Amino acid sequence: MSTSAPEALLRVTSLAAYYGELRAIYDVSLELQPGDVLAVIGANGAGKSTLLKSLVGLMNHGERSHIRGAIEWDGKRIEQLTPDRIVAAGIALVPEGRRLFARLSVEDNLLAGAYLPRCRPAIPARLEEVYTLFPRLRERRSQVVSQMSGGEQQMVAIGRALMSSPRLIAFDELSLGLAPAMVDEIYKNLKAVIARGTTAILVEQDLNRALAACTRFCVMLEGSIVLEGRPGEVSVDAITAAYFGSAVGAARTGAVHGVARG
Amino acid sequence: MGNDNLYWVFVDLANGVLSGAMLGGYYALISVGLALNFGVMRLVNLSHGDWLIVAAYLAVTFLAATGVAPFWSLVLVVPVMYAAGYFIQRGLLNHVSVQAAERRGMSPVFGLMLPLLVTFGLSIVLSQGMLLVFSSDAATIPNELSYSAIRLSEDLSISTLRFGFFIVAALLLAGLSVWLKSTHTGRAIRAASDDPEVAALMGMRTAHVYAVASGVALASASIAGVMVGMSRSFQPFDGPPFLLMAFGVVILGGLGSIAGSFLGGIVLGIVQVLAGTYFGPAAQQVGGYLLILFMLAVRPQGLLAK
Repeated sequence: MSTSAPEALLRVTSLAAYYGELRAIYDVSLELQPGDVLAVIGANGAGKSTLLKSLVGLMNHGERSHIRGAIEWDGKRIEQLTPDRIVAAGIALVPEGRRLFARLSVEDNLLAGAYLPRCRPAIPARLEEVYTLFPRLRERRSQVVSQMSGGEQQMVAIGRALMSSPRLIAFDELSLGLAPAMVDEIYKNLKAVIARGTTAILVEQDLNRALAACTRFCVMLEGSIVLEGRPGEVSVDAITAAYFGSAVGAARTGAVHGVARG
Repeated sequence: MGNDNLYWVFVDLANGVLSGAMLGGYYALISVGLALNFGVMRLVNLSHGDWLIVAAYLAVTFLAATGVAPFWSLVLVVPVMYAAGYFIQRGLLNHVSVQAAERRGMSPVFGLMLPLLVTFGLSIVLSQGMLLVFSSDAATIPNELSYSAIRLSEDLSISTLRFGFFIVAALLLAGLSVWLKSTHTGRAIRAASDDPEVAALMGMRTAHVYAVASGVALASASIAGVMVGMSRSFQPFDGPPFLLMAFGVVILGGLGSIAGSFLGGIVLGIVQVLAGTYFGPAAQQVGGYLLILFMLAVRPQGLLAK
């Protein structure tokens, strides 16, 4: 039994998720304390996005996928809840590929993030916060998002998640498809978001960025967690080995390191 | 003499355009529910026309029982039809929608066919149900406005009833646009139309959001239905021609666009009336449908495509 002092904010126990008969993740257990920033690292298809989708209720509704195991949030079981109940409980997702409402303006996308009645009184304050974090969005508040660059869209996606005043934000592949300079800017702002005391889960293929931003990390391989630790405690070589599977010897990790950087 | 001829040519044209435009307001209100259903959830509701007639019968029944002015029938008809739209979407159409088919991993063709078949069935159930309850006798909503006109000059006039419909339609469509644009519910409807899965992540219950959109669609259809009942006599099987006309308006204006419905209604109204003026009453319908065919050929996305 773990005896860590603060009660876990999120506790995942023996989670498995299936697309039809196909098991995408299995035996995933993890705990998050308030203020933790957990990086979930792994190659394509390792199950990182499926883990996040399971947390926000997207794997358990619809005939095509289901989950097993337990997810406890703030002491309550949430694995059977629908996505709208989970966001109401305080978990927000910045989805992979941003998934903005393409025909809506920047500000309408942000306001959509604050749809829940309990979020509405805080709209002016939250909107101001998002515009302070991303001044570019203030300038373009009435622009339709489909006309914006990928980086700007990612800012809208982060801002939209912040609008619901979440206690946990899950970021799925923030750097995917963005120019390196833009990724730098996004990660700089991410630090500002996290510095507010928000707990975060960061799914990322870019090992170095993930390790620089997190307080804890876990490596997923073929659907389960193969390595956990804190940055600095575990050597990058060991992490890289876990990333590609134990079959890959330490001698080869140098060669594949560049791939891991993406 | 030549001047005189020119004058009458102008009067005919002006009367045609004016009364066509007024007719267009009525057409727009008949069509906007169809446009909303399609724009929000890609639902082609084949029972749309029958709902107009249901609303007209409800109004006739209410007015016969109470004896109040036709306008007051809206107090009953609008909420009843909103509720009907809400619960039919929630209890039936949400389960056979394009989105439900996607969620279940069915083929997209099946996803498109399923709601068509179900709303076609609904259309038959509604018209047969009306036949059962109200018999096939023609009904109408008597009102004094039908017989009056507003004279703009010696030779120019518009029907008071049509003018009233035009104003009501303009106000309702403008109100609907503002509601969709600037309320939390309107924004949720637009968001759920863009990406239902992500809308759910924002806390929007898409089943409820779609049901509200369908409720509003039928509420607008109910007002149009009362207008139908005030301007002509109707029978249980009169719905489908209105559906066809609403399709025409939606095609002209642009699929799913509310401003497009208004513009499409006016264009169709003007073309129909002018065709009737110059080529005889029989040309009125043909002229309208020729315009729709022409539009499909040259600009299938409509005048104000979204």
